[in-house]
Amino acid sequence: MGVKALLAAGIATAAALSACGGTAESASGTVRLLTHESFVLSQSLIDDFQARTGLVLEVVTAGDAGSMVAGAILAAGAPTADVLFGVDNTLRSRAVGAGVFAPYASSAADALRPELRDDTAGGLLTPVDFGDVCVNIDDGFFASAGLAPPSTLEDLASPEYRDLLVVEDPGTSSPGLAFLLSTVARYGDQWPDYWRRLAANGVTVAGSWTDAYMGDFTKGGGGGDRPLVVSYATSPPAEIVYASDPKPERPSTSVMPDGCYRQVEYAGVLAGASNPAGAQAVLDWLLSPEVQADLPLSMFVLPARDGVALPDVFTRFAPAIANPLQIAADEVAAGVPDWLAEWGAVMGR
Amino acid sequence: MTSRLEAIDLAIGHGTVLADGLSLSVAPAEIVAIVGPSGSGKSTLLASLAGVVPALGGHVLVDGIDVTAWPVHRRRIGMIFQEPLLFPHLDVGDNVAYGLRRLGQNRREARAQALEALAWVGLDGYADRPVERLSGGQAQRVALARALAPRPAVLLLDEPFSALDAELRQRLAADVADLLRREATAAVHVTHDLDEAAAMADRVLRMPPEPGQPLARVPR
Amino acid sequence: MGGGDGSLSLPRWVGWAWLVPGAFLLAFLAYPLVALGARILDGLGQSALVPVGTGQVAALAAAQALASTALALAVGLPMANVVSRYRFRGRALAQALVTIPFVLPTVVVALAFRSLVGPGIPQGLFLVVVAHAYVNLAVVARIVGAQWAQHDDRHEAVARTLGAIRWTAFRTVTLPALVPSIAASAAVVFVFSFSSLGIVLLLGGGSTRTLESQVLRQTSVLLDFPGAAATAAIQLVVVSAILLGGAALSRRSPRRVMRPIRLRRPTSRSGTIGVRVTSAGIAVLVLAPVLALAVDSLRSRGSWSLAWWQAIGSVDAGTTRIGSPLSALGTSISYALITAAIAAVVGGLAAVAVLGRGPTRWIALVAVVPLGVSAATVGLGTLLAYGRPPLDLRATGLLVPLAHALVAVPLVVAVVAPALRGTDDRRLAVAACLGARPTRAFLTAYGPVLRIVMLASAALAGAVSLGEFGAASFLARATNPTVPLQIVRLLGRPGEESYGVAAALAMVLVAITLVLVLLVDRLGTSRQPAAVGTP
Repeated sequence: MGVKALLAAGIATAAALSACGGTAESASGTVRLLTHESFVLSQSLIDDFQARTGLVLEVVTAGDAGSMVAGAILAAGAPTADVLFGVDNTLRSRAVGAGVFAPYASSAADALRPELRDDTAGGLLTPVDFGDVCVNIDDGFFASAGLAPPSTLEDLASPEYRDLLVVEDPGTSSPGLAFLLSTVARYGDQWPDYWRRLAANGVTVAGSWTDAYMGDFTKGGGGGDRPLVVSYATSPPAEIVYASDPKPERPSTSVMPDGCYRQVEYAGVLAGASNPAGAQAVLDWLLSPEVQADLPLSMFVLPARDGVALPDVFTRFAPAIANPLQIAADEVAAGVPDWLAEWGAVMGR
Repeated sequence: MTSRLEAIDLAIGHGTVLADGLSLSVAPAEIVAIVGPSGSGKSTLLASLAGVVPALGGHVLVDGIDVTAWPVHRRRIGMIFQEPLLFPHLDVGDNVAYGLRRLGQNRREARAQALEALAWVGLDGYADRPVERLSGGQAQRVALARALAPRPAVLLLDEPFSALDAELRQRLAADVADLLRREATAAVHVTHDLDEAAAMADRVLRMPPEPGQPLARVPR
Repeated sequence: MGGGDGSLSLPRWVGWAWLVPGAFLLAFLAYPLVALGARILDGLGQSALVPVGTGQVAALAAAQALASTALALAVGLPMANVVSRYRFRGRALAQALVTIPFVLPTVVVALAFRSLVGPGIPQGLFLVVVAHAYVNLAVVARIVGAQWAQHDDRHEAVARTLGAIRWTAFRTVTLPALVPSIAASAAVVFVFSFSSLGIVLLLGGGSTRTLESQVLRQTSVLLDFPGAAATAAIQLVVVSAILLGGAALSRRSPRRVMRPIRLRRPTSRSGTIGVRVTSAGIAVLVLAPVLALAVDSLRSRGSWSLAWWQAIGSVDAGTTRIGSPLSALGTSISYALITAAIAAVVGGLAAVAVLGRGPTRWIALVAVVPLGVSAATVGLGTLLAYGRPPLDLRATGLLVPLAHALVAVPLVVAVVAPALRGTDDRRLAVAACLGARPTRAFLTAYGPVLRIVMLASAALAGAVSLGEFGAASFLARATNPTVPLQIVRLLGRPGEESYGVAAALAMVLVAITLVLVLLVDRLGTSRQPAAVGTP
């Protein structure tokens, strides 16, 4: 039979799919939002936005934040979308330097939290949300072991907490890199020494957050044996939100408030966008009270806008981190290659 | 060198009995032909004698020794099939040397003796050829040389000429009969062609039409 | 049957068959890579140096891939033997089961393994090798099985009557006869393991690396594009060399006549036991990790529960993340079908081109090259080439199947080419002598084999698409996630429900795959022609 028949079948199928997949749109009315694969919002917000503005919002994802930014850098000047959301403070410097973004000052930026208001990379980016990468604790483990949970980065290197911590590889994982940066911020030039002590204390390194949390962590579902994991300050509320009914009273995990690294996510209009006006409308919308209020429960990040009320699970189980660690974006861009190499040498990998 | 092959009360078949109560005695240097329609179990009988297919009952004896429980490779019963089944990754010489190598000869000895066996079948000078460049008749001659080179006690021939055209078939059948007689090798030749059987064999037997009946002699 | 004689009567279009795979590769591999390369060279202002330590990573990856290939062959060959040659109860199921590991998203495989072995076995090289072998069993079992099924085992009977013990007969007769398919499958397994990403990231504990994981790190963490390009280029060179070597090995072996597939029952008691033990082994080996996942999907807070299965329909309802699991299933299945069609046509024609004369038959070798190109590279290149004006294919929904087809075509070629080469081309001559026109004669000679192997390879291609994650994560539209994308997204957040629903969705993927493969296998065997005698 047929190569010809197969060919015909193939073409027919392809045609059928493209017919049902295509969205009939007038080009001027469509705006594309480029983001990472973790992006999620309530569908009703998008429906409202489209109804209100008459724009068609198409969300395109391109891998994780790093891959998405890499793609944006490569396409700088002739972008695959109009507006980008999800570049963070560890990646932004390179993207800005490559000319990915066009300047735009949203009027909504005045409503941002004071410490974020001027964090715009020279008017190219607008903060949308923030969150902290912190060590998470399996409370039940420490209660039944009769051991006080660790409370500082120093504790993690002390013998009582031997063989209890799992971290992610900073070379392959965003929270892993954040945790490395927090140790650099805390210990300065002495950070390799801290990692030597962690290694001597039996730290495990996993390839990704999923692997560490779902696999190695005692509370991740995968039956791991590590009661301490590098995760997010918002993981405990997520544990409640993503539990089956009836929801547990309180999460089984808590956050170690010391040594947290602050991540900020930005949005920016892409240079060369075919629909710059639409892009600006999307950016304004991302800062609107409705979207900002939706962020905690959809993406488990905290709103950049000042005065947005947080859901109950957040106020109860995700205490604000008082003094998060942070390194300036330019320093991060300049330092990361050497830090990763040094970290690899220290950890023998 | 020459040996006697006996089958006593043999039951054959692939799992289920196709024929049983088969008895057969092949004298040293004797050529026995077995004829019968296709599906009557001729090929299975040969396979059971060689041990390729286990017998479902009865005994196979070589020179009076019960080899029924012996594995194929110890029986010293050679076999050739309708197709030559030459090993495609070996040249003609190495195909013929295969059995000699299994007897423990090194490659040079085996190769030298293989040349001799190729001469028996009239294929001097073919040793270095790839097998895919042989004609059908030549390939079947190589298969014959390969089977005879290690001097088997008995040679079983499973319709070895049926894929060849009539003229070639007659010539090859005559050559094979000559060769078997010259080497004094006992043989069982299975075919559906009574003329071919009669031309080659000392004795012609017919597969029984029903299970349980014996092999019957076909009068000349 | 001189190899060249038959090609005289080949239809003329066989000479042009290479054009389709050629155009496909040019458009969807070469052009994106050139676009990407040009962009990187085009003044990102960095010097293109091969990053320090690349050689060490390559050597480690090669050793790892070698071990993975050896293990996959050691386990896969007995499977190929039993599943492709014997008739027994549950054979079709066993054959379908073997395919399951290959199509599970790597994230799911990794989790299933960890769920199975627990924290007792540390992450690292050993676990990576075992997981690679597990995933690639289907490659060995299917590719070698396809040839083994047609191998005439009377060759072994001859060897045994010539004094060879079973093992010797296997070693000196069976193995050499299977060299083409063993080489082809070993090359593919090696390449998959050498350029593996997901399993290395998830089970390697960070210390086991591949060039592919380096590329990802260089693009998405260090944003070192020239370094990534240099690493990707080295990977491409190594992988191409391996694939060409494998292809050369499988070409060197002589043409031979194959018998139509005739399944048989084991003849001896030990044979029966062997078949039973091996098929039970397949079931246990393949199913153990899957069962571990199934248990996970049914356990909630220490007791049995259907909660996660019920949640499949409601999880993330009302958000942009997941429309409904049904639509993701629909997306995955339609992508799989399109991938299968594209890969069958492109790969099939590449394999047919091998029969022709002249340099164009090398297209089959070139068609295998995509296996060596890192997924991140292809993803980024495709985005640059087809993800923005003037050529924006994103909205058509074809980008994902096209990228999947790129990975699937080499597999189709690997299955179809050896089978075509092994087909008795005397039939072609006979048909031509009987007055058949060239195309008719071609179909008479190759049609039956072509139909069987094309269906088998199309199933493999569809299966690749069902389980693929990397390219899909780059190219899928956010509103049309595939099932693996959904699983990975669920696993990317905390909560008991996330893990449970991901496990349940993984089970759904297993079920679909099982059904698909069973269907195609049935189609393949029911249309199988009656034994064709040699002319």
